[in-house]
Amino acid sequence: MAMHFIFSDEVVLLFDFWSVHSPTGMALSVLVILLLAVLYESIKVGKARLLHRALMNLSIPTSQQLIEEADQDSSSSDTLPVSRSPLRWFLCHFGQSLLHVAQVVVGYFMMLAVMSYNTWIFFGVVLGSGVGYYLAYPLLSMT
Amino acid sequence: GHSHHMGMNMDMSGGNNSTMPPHHHPTTSSDHSHDHMMMMPMTFYFGFKNVELLFSGLVINTAGEMAGAFVAVFLLAMFYEGLKIAREGLLRKSQVSIRYNSMPVPGPNGTILMETHKTVGQQMLSFPHLLQTVLHIIQVVISYFLMLIFMTYNGYLCIAVAAGAGTGYFLFSWKKAVVVDITEHCH
Repeated sequence: MAMHFIFSDEVVLLFDFWSVHSPTGMALSVLVILLLAVLYESIKVGKARLLHRALMNLSIPTSQQLIEEADQDSSSSDTLPVSRSPLRWFLCHFGQSLLHVAQVVVGYFMMLAVMSYNTWIFFGVVLGSGVGYYLAYPLLSMT
Repeated sequence: GHSHHMGMNMDMSGGNNSTMPPHHHPTTSSDHSHDHMMMMPMTFYFGFKNVELLFSGLVINTAGEMAGAFVAVFLLAMFYEGLKIAREGLLRKSQVSIRYNSMPVPGPNGTILMETHKTVGQQMLSFPHLLQTVLHIIQVVISYFLMLIFMTYNGYLCIAVAAGAGTGYFLFSWKKAVVVDITEHCH
């Protein structure tokens, strides 16, 4: 395994069937990796947005209500008033967890792709991360 | 939000495996000099024979051992997610403490003003900060271990990492989502 960056049109990426031997194949592979990196950044933003939506689904009591509740029932201090829509909150949280799995897997795939030490692939990852960040992060504040 | 530590784990040192990992491409040459090219698998595979895991001497050879390794890796990934969220919670709690330092300061026209400094956060030698540092070291070590486990390209172990991370995130973040709401509102 080469331990330094090389420019090459040949690489085997992640799976046995993803074997590249030609410039066209390499260009296509770089594009796929680029899109993978864009996906990674989008997933991060998607998770944050789902979290925001999950918090919106919780009934957020005012401090006055919190004080009243504390006086009334001191037994269930750990339970949250999920009274507005528990199912939607659960779905949001489950969706976040699925996105988290996707984020972990895609993140590791990108790491392994960079580990191929193929410079074109590396450029694809870096450029894709940049493009993904550029496109996705503004969506964070757009709620 | 908490970003996965993936972006920082880029220092690779060369793998030094001396055992042949399972590889379903037939090696046509019996020449020993070709062994070096196939030492570390570079594509995903499913197998449980001769799988070296992180430490020398820790080799999986049977299905039973792979099952045990799967559970261990799953729990490690789960623990990692829990540790991340626990650290966030600890940080939030310790940053609630606000210190006010007031000191007299000469003002205009010879008057004395009280200048108040508000510091939010932890002192260097405070217990919360030292605890955070220790937990950070543990977190870095575990994140590198998980990366190295994923780098074995073994399908079972990679699935264990992903599934453990997802389950850990689901379980521990559940509590966090509850806590975040209460604390965000109060401040």
